[in-house]
Amino acid sequence: AAAAGKPIKLATLVPQGSIWDKELRAIAEEAKKRTDGRVTFRVYPGGIEGDDQDVVRKMRLGQLQAASLTVDGLTSLDKGFSIFSVPRFFASFDELFAVAHALTPTLAERLDKQGFVFLGWGYGGWVYLFAKKPFYTPEDVKKLKLFVWGGNDNKMVDWWKSNGYHPVGLASTDIMTGLQTGMIDAMPAPPLIAIALQWYRQAPNMLDLPMGQLIGATVITKKAWQQLSPADQATLKALAAQMQQRLEREIPGQDRQAVDEMSRRGLNVTKPRDPKAWDDAATLFANTMREKVVPADLFDMARKAREELRSKH
Amino acid sequence: MDADEAVAPPPGSEHAPPPAGIEPPDAEERGAIAWVHHLEDAVPVLALLLMVALPLAEIVARRFGTGVPGSANFTQHLVLWVALLGAAVAARQGKLLALATTSFMRPGFRREAASSFAAAAGAAVSALLARASVEMVLVEKQAGTVIAAGVKAWVAQLALPIGFALIALRLVWLASPRWWARGVALAGLLVGIWLGQQPALLEGKPAWPGIVLLLVATALGSPIFAVLGGLAVLLFMHDGVPISAGPAEIYQLAVSQFLAAVPLFTLAGFLLAEGKSSLRLLAVFRALFGAISGGTAVVCALVCAFFTIFTGGSGVTILALGGLMLPALLAEGYPERFSLGLLTASGSLGLLWAPALPLILYGIVANVPIEQLFLGGLLPGLLMVGLNAAWGVRQGMRSGVSRHAFRPGALGRAVWEAKWELLLPVLVLGAFLGGFATLVETSAVAALYVMIVKTLIHRDIAIGRPLFRAFRDCVALVGGVMVIVCAAKGFSSYLTDAELPARGLTWVQANIHSPWLLLLGLNLLLLLVGSVMEVFAAIIVLVPLLKDFPAAYHINPVHLGIMFVANLELGYLTPPAGLNLFLASSRFQRPLLEVYRAALPYLVLNGIGVLLITYVPFLTTWLLPAAAQ
Ligand code: NA
Ligand code: NA
Repeated sequence: AAAAGKPIKLATLVPQGSIWDKELRAIAEEAKKRTDGRVTFRVYPGGIEGDDQDVVRKMRLGQLQAASLTVDGLTSLDKGFSIFSVPRFFASFDELFAVAHALTPTLAERLDKQGFVFLGWGYGGWVYLFAKKPFYTPEDVKKLKLFVWGGNDNKMVDWWKSNGYHPVGLASTDIMTGLQTGMIDAMPAPPLIAIALQWYRQAPNMLDLPMGQLIGATVITKKAWQQLSPADQATLKALAAQMQQRLEREIPGQDRQAVDEMSRRGLNVTKPRDPKAWDDAATLFANTMREKVVPADLFDMARKAREELRSKH
Repeated sequence: MDADEAVAPPPGSEHAPPPAGIEPPDAEERGAIAWVHHLEDAVPVLALLLMVALPLAEIVARRFGTGVPGSANFTQHLVLWVALLGAAVAARQGKLLALATTSFMRPGFRREAASSFAAAAGAAVSALLARASVEMVLVEKQAGTVIAAGVKAWVAQLALPIGFALIALRLVWLASPRWWARGVALAGLLVGIWLGQQPALLEGKPAWPGIVLLLVATALGSPIFAVLGGLAVLLFMHDGVPISAGPAEIYQLAVSQFLAAVPLFTLAGFLLAEGKSSLRLLAVFRALFGAISGGTAVVCALVCAFFTIFTGGSGVTILALGGLMLPALLAEGYPERFSLGLLTASGSLGLLWAPALPLILYGIVANVPIEQLFLGGLLPGLLMVGLNAAWGVRQGMRSGVSRHAFRPGALGRAVWEAKWELLLPVLVLGAFLGGFATLVETSAVAALYVMIVKTLIHRDIAIGRPLFRAFRDCVALVGGVMVIVCAAKGFSSYLTDAELPARGLTWVQANIHSPWLLLLGLNLLLLLVGSVMEVFAAIIVLVPLLKDFPAAYHINPVHLGIMFVANLELGYLTPPAGLNLFLASSRFQRPLLEVYRAALPYLVLNGIGVLLITYVPFLTTWLLPAAAQ
């Protein structure tokens, strides 16, 4: 173990000054204190090191050592994470947390095979659709140029196309430019992000129907991890777990506050019409994803964890 | 001199013809070598053609619902091939941008020594980058990333090691016709490979000897990309960051969303500059403004601006139009010094008008909406062109130059003759600002449009060998510029990595409180940087350092962008190293000092323009949508 080793460079898309950025900086500070300066972090927020796929490449090359990735980056490491992209799979934050906890050992093991160590979950909140013009039904959405995660080999782009939508694959760092140039006119986003990055000003109509949840996780390369002493490793794991717990307490409330705040500032929150059409669209989407996108064993494991929680209530 | 021949050096070229004794190897090639060269040309030319075809196919296929799977991803990855293999062609033609120091030295041992040292340093950096690229390719191969339709990312990345290796070999070969000097350059190449094998060698060691070495090599004529790329890798090694970080940054930039527009618009501008389009446009503007005193000077500013919008830098404009415009001005009785100055300055007019490439690149790097930069640049661009035109009118009145009577019939005929050229800006702005096509798709439409106009309608370029040669020269030009942009990205990324942007902002905030003072500081900094650095490279390196300033000082980000580009443009006219000064000196065969004197009034004039743009933000923000003001 290197005494006062090189700083661990951690990159992330989360906006500078956001709740997640503050959390990361807090645990960086705490880690330094508790390890007597042996473990230090440099945090690069706001996508300055690139989109998740760029960050993953830089971790593999050793240019970066750690990252707080969104589900997009995590999925590029292991397909299993795509379970969290299944639309309307979760009916509540509690279901999300229960499934995340149940899947942690399996997903951590799968990450390990890719050369990464799982540290802890991060949560972005419910994902809603935002658009330039008001919209109410899935048919309305089919007329919109819809942002989807771009990057390499994104099968979802083809899925959207073949189901009659007009997806535009972009890097998430290009959403603002895309909205302003008319390249896209709608995108899914969690309220906390839409407010932090001011996206809602460009797309001031939100459909009050959660499409899914945005999840993320903090990971570190095995190479960097193995240079830490077991005691320092334990400290980092404990700090990451604490961060995860704080986010589980904080995010659900802040998520709703962000919607209220945006409404006060001019966001038009609309109610969906034709609930059956929305359900059908979501079911069609979810059914395509099992096996084709999400490995079947993980899909079933997640469903089991969710049903267990549902049966308790 | 005729406009047709003036296509050689790329924009940003500070390059005089290669030292005597070295002919570009194209002249007399036979047999196997000719075939290798054809292949080297054909690969990037094919990549560029595919870059035109894929976005167009996507536009068509989208009408039928599905689009072309992965077309955007493929287009983005083709940029790598055009850039790196284009740069290799430029290296073979001896056209990589470099200071032409050795061409000012007398032939002899000292000149050979200087150029072999410069080549050795360039070869060392290229070999090191090739070695680092191999590492990136291997890691990507193991990760197994797929671009689309089963094509692996590592295959696309092969352009990097191949391109840099070819450049290294060319630098060695072209170092000198003498074998001992080639030997020196070859030693540099081997040092580069050896350094690549020992990445930990320089960790924690002082970086300054390497920096000094690189700067000396650049002064002696090492390619510009080598100093930027060399600095990046050297500093990464010093910090213990893997050298593959350099290629990784290049890859990240090359495949970014909008960069594909740069080679495609350059292609459109490059083909436009071939043949007689400039004559047709000249006739239109002359019929419009020829009747006023100083009309031809106004016409000159407008024609140059029109070309620069599409060619993106001053290089092509001065080279392509200078030979046409200078005799026209002199024949009408404008003084020689005035005319020389006007043409030198006009080479960078138009850089603020859509879809000028510096604006696009600024938008990409600063994450400012490109559309807003286009709108914001309209009035400032008009101001700059207007100032130069007004200066021309003043001179016209003083010199009592001849005027042409205004004849509506002549105007009508000229417009009709030039209708295809005049439609180009309408097409481009309509497609992009009208939301019909993305920026990259628009640039592909522009390239195809110019290709059709020049080959099928006007027949300025014959299909077949002449068209292929035009493509090849365009690819070399694009590659020469892009390889600098890429190397600058590596250097800029080191600065980000070292958290310099954040530290810089903290320092500035502690010391400068007034936004006006900050802007003045920026004016001076940008003038200095613009006078020694290529405009694209300057954007890549400086913008990340400055991008948090607008929020911290309540400066409109679009205003900062327009001021930034206008200011860099001014650097082109600033002695001793301003780019336009060198280009004009070489194009018009006038001593550099004479060009300095001729350009001085324009430096002052355009300086006033830049100050107005800087301190009257309204000029930029007036046309912006309310939300962006
Ligand atoms: Na990208
Ligand atoms: Na970086």
